[in-house]
Amino acid sequence: MSPEISENSHTLRSNDDYSTVKMASLERLAESVVDELNKAQGESQMGLLPFRRTGNVSEQSVSNTTKSIGRRSSLKNRSVIFGLLAALFLFAVGCSKDGMSPFDPMGPVAAKQLDLFNVLMWVMVIVFVLVEGVLLYAIIRYRKRPGQAKPPQTHGNTSLEITLTIIPTILVLGLAIWSVFTLFDLQDPPEGSPEALHVNVTGHQWWFEFEYPDAGNGKKIITANELRIPVDRPITLSLESDDVIHSFWVPKLAGKLDMIPTHTNEMWFQADSDKINDDLPVTLYGQCAELCGLSHALMKFQVTVMDQADFDSWAAAYGPPPTISARAKAGQAVFAANCTLCHTIDGPDDPVLSASRLTGFLTGGDITPVPAPNLTDLRTRHTLAAGLVDLSETNLLSWLHDPSEIKANNYMSQRAVMYKTETGTSNLTNEEIDALIGYLLDLQ
Amino acid sequence: MAAITSVIPRPTSYEGLWGWMTTVDHKRIAVLYGVTAFIFLLIAGLEAGVIRMQLASADSTLVSPGRFNQMFTMHATTMVFMVIMPLSVSFFNFVIPLAIGARDVAFPRLNALSYWIFLFGGILLHMSFVVDQVPDAGWFSYANLTEKPFSVDRGLDFWSISLLVLGTSSVAGGLNFIVTIINMRAPGMSMMRMPVFVWMTLITSILLVLAFPVITVGLIELTMDRNFGTHFFIPAQGGDPILWQHLFWVFGHPEVYILILPAMGIVSEILPTFSRKPLFGYPFVIFSGIVIAIMGWAVWSHHMFTVGLGPVANSVFTITTMLIAVPTGVKIFNWIGTLWRGALEFTTPMMFALGFVALFIIGGLSGVSHAVSPSDFQQQDTYYIVAHIHYVLFGGSMFGIFAGTYYWFPKITGKMLNETLGKINFWLLFIGMNLTFFPMHFLGLNGMPRRIYTYTAEFGWEYLNQIASFGYLVLLIGILVFMYNVWQSRNSRHVGHDPWDAPGIEWSIASPPPPYNFAEIPQVLGRDHYWIVKENAEAAGTPITGPEPTVDPKSIHMPSPSYWPLFTAVGVALIGGGLLSHFALSFVGGAIAFVGVIGWSNEPAAAPNDHH
Repeated sequence: MSPEISENSHTLRSNDDYSTVKMASLERLAESVVDELNKAQGESQMGLLPFRRTGNVSEQSVSNTTKSIGRRSSLKNRSVIFGLLAALFLFAVGCSKDGMSPFDPMGPVAAKQLDLFNVLMWVMVIVFVLVEGVLLYAIIRYRKRPGQAKPPQTHGNTSLEITLTIIPTILVLGLAIWSVFTLFDLQDPPEGSPEALHVNVTGHQWWFEFEYPDAGNGKKIITANELRIPVDRPITLSLESDDVIHSFWVPKLAGKLDMIPTHTNEMWFQADSDKINDDLPVTLYGQCAELCGLSHALMKFQVTVMDQADFDSWAAAYGPPPTISARAKAGQAVFAANCTLCHTIDGPDDPVLSASRLTGFLTGGDITPVPAPNLTDLRTRHTLAAGLVDLSETNLLSWLHDPSEIKANNYMSQRAVMYKTETGTSNLTNEEIDALIGYLLDLQ
Repeated sequence: MAAITSVIPRPTSYEGLWGWMTTVDHKRIAVLYGVTAFIFLLIAGLEAGVIRMQLASADSTLVSPGRFNQMFTMHATTMVFMVIMPLSVSFFNFVIPLAIGARDVAFPRLNALSYWIFLFGGILLHMSFVVDQVPDAGWFSYANLTEKPFSVDRGLDFWSISLLVLGTSSVAGGLNFIVTIINMRAPGMSMMRMPVFVWMTLITSILLVLAFPVITVGLIELTMDRNFGTHFFIPAQGGDPILWQHLFWVFGHPEVYILILPAMGIVSEILPTFSRKPLFGYPFVIFSGIVIAIMGWAVWSHHMFTVGLGPVANSVFTITTMLIAVPTGVKIFNWIGTLWRGALEFTTPMMFALGFVALFIIGGLSGVSHAVSPSDFQQQDTYYIVAHIHYVLFGGSMFGIFAGTYYWFPKITGKMLNETLGKINFWLLFIGMNLTFFPMHFLGLNGMPRRIYTYTAEFGWEYLNQIASFGYLVLLIGILVFMYNVWQSRNSRHVGHDPWDAPGIEWSIASPPPPYNFAEIPQVLGRDHYWIVKENAEAAGTPITGPEPTVDPKSIHMPSPSYWPLFTAVGVALIGGGLLSHFALSFVGGAIAFVGVIGWSNEPAAAPNDHH
């Protein structure tokens, strides 16, 4: 793991402990491989690998002395260990713990999935080194020598075939059984967990909507593209889509699960404080993982892990912008005149309105309402345009001026009346946009 | 009508363009398949180049997101349906009749029809570039992204209708080879004496015939949804997008074996030849192929682990997918067993075959890792999967196809490809392939999703993407070296009928083979027939020095060329083309195809002046 990578992962814990674990388990593995190979060497003398016993005379006579067997065996062991080390080095260099990497799990679901992968990785590396090693050995050892006679015409060996069928069968069935147990194990939060927080997630082209039916004290919250969760508490999620299939994925919390129109998928995850080394709140990254159209690559979101107290105060503060300043008051009027067809800013969206927006979207047309992110808590968010850019006055200004500059394909610039201009830029005046920004971000 | 069509005599010319257009000779059809598919390979390769150049840097704006989606959709669709499958069929065509000691396939005209429909289907799909309404929903084209209003131009119609056209070609070809292999083997060639490539062809053909109807159902439903107001996959109107996924992958997973089994067959021919000993564990290789073909129908939902089918379904498909690794592993053990104690000669075909084994091991191992569903939840739809499929399909299928091309080229043309260029070709492809696709394992493990046209630098994906894009350039040079090698071979000297001292029956006849293949149908002596023949001759003191002597072609009755396959294929293509432009054209196409079939069935058995 390169130093740059660990510097980059500012929100994540250091890489060192992980590497140490890896090196320790490598040593254990190397020892066991040596043992295995010594065993295999002994067995081949007993005839498990029968093609060694017959045939090419000159080679056979050399390998019949015990001394050379020992030498060759240690040489072979060393090359196997070298191969394993090389594969491990490659793995260590190749795998990062950056924002989208699952190698630094922050919760029990991702951690158990990673446990499986780590074992799997060892199985793959060992099988890879052994099989490719035997292949390479055969290629070098049995190359044709000048004047060599026709080799013995063997046709096969039934007991060897059966052995080599049974061993991998046991191996893969072992992995399969562990997988099945993990599957059922991760189905629901374990018994005795704290009470779960439920979130309904809806995928839209190309943003995520989060609805908390009860964020605390019965308060309903609808927000977009930034999921806030309390630490050490299971989060249960119902995933849906109201257009095409998307996939919900926060690598550090759990593997992905698809968001499918008219199917509701249930999943859960949890962020554990003892798996997070930084101070809360911590931001984790997520991204849509199923091709969903032109801006699929830009459909991202963030998960902010907070203390329960911070979460509660965020939930309590959820509400329309206070509009104290004159700028915000002017902006409120601009918003009401231009934005409310699609955006809600005064609390959770009205279901009837949401349904009519969806109908407008599905029937198409030039100027029809579409489902759009709820803006009630925009002033507390960090990013704009589904996690694409930081939420700043400058970025919000250029977004309102021409959204397609930031996100080439989005329904706001295609459908909103204010962008039905020759250049496709907003028909609002600079003052109006400025006021709007003041309102949205609750600025003076 | 019968009266009219039956008076049209069969064409007699075997020469020139017209000769190629009316040919029913399996060897010429093989060449047509090979050349056409290679051109599609170049197109798909350029599409891959656009993808790699776009992803070579973070925040790249080389192509628009729409164009990028078109590129990966067309790259995969072309590679699967118009490159690897037809290249495999090209080998079926050339090798199967020769390898079983037959004079042609069972239905020579149907064979020609398969080719022409394949060609027209491919052209039809690529017409989408002409009108710039290119398919863009991925080669798997998941509903309901493929439905209106999410996909409004004709791109997906081009995709579905072309695949329907191509499907008829595949099913016809599959039936043809099943009948050929079952019925037309030379005396003495029992099923368990058939070369492994013949076995794999038989298994692949059965899979083709069984798998394509499933995708055909899906494609027809999709076409109906998009054009005639049905709603099989439209959730807002009671349809189910998951139905498409089941239909697609019930076809799609056997399709994976359709793509790889022929290459496994090719490699199983080449490794023994250049190890100078018979294939190790022949019955195990055959039965593992059969087991793969059967179990291949029970693993499709591992493509759908993240769909939310629940832990029970996921468990079942975890176990079946794990188990299918076993017969695949058995094949690898037997290939290594074939090398064991052999006398290996590193000719270019042998190097490609060994490259196949080495790379397929990697693809197989990552394949096992997909079966571990809880872990796959993290890797599904990432570059880890892209790495896997390219190790299996490029390192596997394409390396097998290159091995076969270098191996049978002297039989097809009578001339050798240059061995030095061949080795340069091999190393460029081997190194380029690993540079391009190995880093993708790490990209995927580090969380880079597939099918994204851009990414930001913050997640650390740029460096590995640059290596992959550099690897593409190495691959490109490798392909150019191959093209030059084929081009320069026209000047090389004629080699004997059996340059590799090979065991197959096809090496006992002249290179290139005469139109009738075998002057006398051979009596097959064993699995490695020609090795046995040569050994017996050696023992008798009369070593074989030349091919089976040729005879006057007129003394052997062969099917005459025919206009009807091409004529009928034009009709079939017009049916598809009409669905994409004016329905009236479809009726014209239907009429042409109808006349074609009538003419076909009333055609005289041979040209009047052909000698019987």
